[in-house]
Amino acid sequence: MKLKWLAAAVLAATGSATYAQSSVTLYGVIDSGLLYQSANAANFQSKVNLGHVYALKDGGIYSSIWGLKGSEDIGGGYKVNFRLQGAFNSSNGKPGLSDTPGATALFNQQTTVGASGPFGTIDMGRQIVPMIYAMADTDVRNAQYFGSILTAWLGMNQAAGWQGLSTNGPIGALYDDNAIVYRSPKFYGASLALEYAPGGVAGQFQGGTRESAVLQYSNYGLNLAAVYYNGHDTNPFTQTAPTTIVTAPSTGLANNRFWYLGAQYTFHDFSVSTSYSIGRNPANSGHANFEMISGGLGYKFSPGFKVTSGFYYLKDRNHSSNQSNEFALGAEYNLSKTTLAYAQVGYVNNRGNMSQTITYGAPVPEGRSTTAAMAGIRHSF
Amino acid sequence: MKTNWALGIAGGVLIVLASAHAWAQAGASETSAASNGTAVAASGGMTAKDIRKADRALRRKVYAAIVTHNKEINAGNISVIAKGGTVTLDGTVVDASQIEKVSEIAKGVPGVTSVTNRLTVKKPFGGQ
Repeated sequence: MKLKWLAAAVLAATGSATYAQSSVTLYGVIDSGLLYQSANAANFQSKVNLGHVYALKDGGIYSSIWGLKGSEDIGGGYKVNFRLQGAFNSSNGKPGLSDTPGATALFNQQTTVGASGPFGTIDMGRQIVPMIYAMADTDVRNAQYFGSILTAWLGMNQAAGWQGLSTNGPIGALYDDNAIVYRSPKFYGASLALEYAPGGVAGQFQGGTRESAVLQYSNYGLNLAAVYYNGHDTNPFTQTAPTTIVTAPSTGLANNRFWYLGAQYTFHDFSVSTSYSIGRNPANSGHANFEMISGGLGYKFSPGFKVTSGFYYLKDRNHSSNQSNEFALGAEYNLSKTTLAYAQVGYVNNRGNMSQTITYGAPVPEGRSTTAAMAGIRHSF
Repeated sequence: MKTNWALGIAGGVLIVLASAHAWAQAGASETSAASNGTAVAASGGMTAKDIRKADRALRRKVYAAIVTHNKEINAGNISVIAKGGTVTLDGTVVDASQIEKVSEIAKGVPGVTSVTNRLTVKKPFGGQ
């Protein structure tokens, strides 16, 4: 009898194991490099230069991540999908930031469950928002962590007061909590993504909500992207002292709007990209109203070696003295199918209270020029 | 500063255009025969203009085949150059399995005699 039970248990265990193998994937990336930066600041809103730094830095291309994903075929062309993904700092092992100031989360990038089928896909939960994929597809630098449309867009957020304490930015977003994202199937290269994030604020229907729409076209070597993003009660947190966080009440105020138009063209081994965008606080344009222009040029020397460059310009439409331009140049070499070596240099000229960074998470002082270089390795598993 | 950048872009585009002609001829070493032999004959009394027109038409057909056969592949990241039935693929796909798929789709297009595949993998934003 006991043996029978044991046999049944073994059967059940092997049965579930085969299931798990076919449907769940554990994956991750570790990306680490050496960073030199000529000027540094304690935060994004500081003019004080702390001097140059040599550091071991996480994320030269993108942050280190690990995750679990799976997909179950439920028949009729429909699938149920899930993904849990968290960023971590490979230099010190700490997990990435969540939407709450100062708080990290195990799976801070994505915790979604959803379905896909002939209708497209739907994913529910915290996730990387559709707009940033569209921006990456229209930036030769691919919205990487070192000198790209990502650091430029974050520069707009910093100028609008983002302190980098949470992933809740005042202009657009990289991640949204509570998000429901629908992606259409592609139709001759055209596709649409729609996002709605109910705020979950009691007594306030609009409180804390987010909505975005992304239209993309990808055919004939050409990527086109149009983005609209709108947030209510975005970034209601202000830190007054290192230990005090003041949370403003959610009132349903639409205070975060971002428009983006971008294009990228690939011809032979060359690719060129350009974009234009406007980010502002529609409830208080006098406080935040910015313009961003980008350009990129890339060349692939061989299937394993490419060089990309980008130019990113930011302007405060309220105060023309606040401007920033950045140049970034990077080389990537594939050592194997899973390991990439990279070297990148960047220069930023910030004027006024601009503090566009060269690389993600390394604040530069407002209103001065800074140079940075980083070389590192990125390994996927 | 902005003017310099614009000039840089313009220069880059010019280099691309200038090198396009020379490159399409090179790199036929890895070519493989396609299933369909109804190639556009580049020899039979066609003018240079006709040839270019035929090449452009074939290029469009290859793109149309990619976007209709596989909706996962982003044809906007792929450069397709056709020259007298020889197709060269450049650019990127998001997954290694897509590299061969694009080749197969291109080979299936009537008029394509051989395909040179120079596609590489570029992971989407976030790296996964």
